[in-house]
Amino acid sequence: MSAEEKTLVDRCRHGEDDAWRELVDRFGQKVYSVAYHFTLNREDAEELSQEIFLKTFENLHRYDGSFPLVAWLLSVSRNLCIDRYRRKKREKSFRFVTDDAVLPLLKSNDDPAAEALKKERTKLLFWALAEIPEDLAEILVLRDLDGLAYDEIGKVLDLPDGTVKSRLFRARAEVARRIRERHERRGSTGAFQTLALAAGGVL
Amino acid sequence: MSCGELERLFLAGASPEHARRHAGGCTTCGRLKADLEATEQMSAGLAPPALAPSLRKSLIEIPRRTVSCEGAERLLPLAVEKELVAEDERRLANHLSRCAACSEAAETLLGSRELEQPVAPPWLAARLSASRPAKEKRLWAWILDPKAAIALAYAAAVVVMLLGFNPADIARRVSASQLGENTRAAVNVAESSLTDRIGAIQEKVSRTVQVWKGRAGGYGRAAFSNAVGLIWKSSGSKGRPEERPRNRDGRGAFRERETTTITTWRA
Repeated sequence: MSAEEKTLVDRCRHGEDDAWRELVDRFGQKVYSVAYHFTLNREDAEELSQEIFLKTFENLHRYDGSFPLVAWLLSVSRNLCIDRYRRKKREKSFRFVTDDAVLPLLKSNDDPAAEALKKERTKLLFWALAEIPEDLAEILVLRDLDGLAYDEIGKVLDLPDGTVKSRLFRARAEVARRIRERHERRGSTGAFQTLALAAGGVL
Repeated sequence: MSCGELERLFLAGASPEHARRHAGGCTTCGRLKADLEATEQMSAGLAPPALAPSLRKSLIEIPRRTVSCEGAERLLPLAVEKELVAEDERRLANHLSRCAACSEAAETLLGSRELEQPVAPPWLAARLSASRPAKEKRLWAWILDPKAAIALAYAAAVVVMLLGFNPADIARRVSASQLGENTRAAVNVAESSLTDRIGAIQEKVSRTVQVWKGRAGGYGRAAFSNAVGLIWKSSGSKGRPEERPRNRDGRGAFRERETTTITTWRA
């Protein structure tokens, strides 16, 4: 897998347009997803994706094929993602998540009620992510939203697998605790799941 | 709150069934387990945001807009020579605006063309010409060197002397016109040197003879004097001074009438 990716990168380094197009088609969607999850804004995500691929292109000679290319792409641009994420947090984009921000993440559903419920749950999730420490939030985004494997997350964040799993567990527990506390401040008595299902009026 | 067992099971990679079984029997973990499952459900089933075709096109065109650090290394020498085509110049400028390392390299390279030429001090040319390195000597140059020729002449003269000839005579007999300039000079030096040496040896010999003559004369006179003394002794030795009395070990002793005055220094 990595040897084949190394060959692809070497072809890109030698100026083969086809190779670069293949690289964009293979990883463009994944990179854009990560960028969107860190920004929750289409323009910002596109700009961040451009930056990530620009940086990738400029640093192709550094890729040695020792780990998956997608993890390397994101590790090269990790600081870019974190910087954008911090900026968005300062701008309160995560604390006041709009419908438009989460709509691109929802699958079209014939049931409007179920779709509305999912939309509110997603908004609640991003609100909670903004509440927890960012080292926990980024792991939860990469694992639960972008579906990266533990070893890929470890490469991106330069952490051992055990630490990745430990942080992921703590991240989920923290998200759950924040949502529960918010629910309790509002005076509701239902269980966490009830809150999540009825989150329409929370945000 | 949790007893920590749920986290331990998760890190150990236990199945969800294991975690659920523990949560069912543990009062502190039951609620946490439900919360964790709800959190996972919140993120499950979300769609990836669609990559816009315009963004894809823009990403594919990145190599036409900029160059990599490697590419910048190839283009910079051409930029210094002002030989870049317009497209490459634009790509390089784009990269330099984003990459601090390459930008610093470019400024250093391009800046080297704008440095003033240092003015040489007036004495430099004379000093350089004076310190011109000596040419390497070849074998024939060593042989024709006057010093070497003189040394060879000395060696030849010694050999000739050992064979019983006078090298100065030989040199005199050789026609000067048949010799080269260096050789003639060497012969002249050798001739004068040998003449000096021979003169010095003669002088030394005559001095030595004189010395030996003097020594021989002195010894003769001493022998004559001794003989006269022996004859005088044997004939009664009248008029000779009385000999000083000797102790048993033959050393001198005071006579009885001789006195000594010891003076002590007093303050």
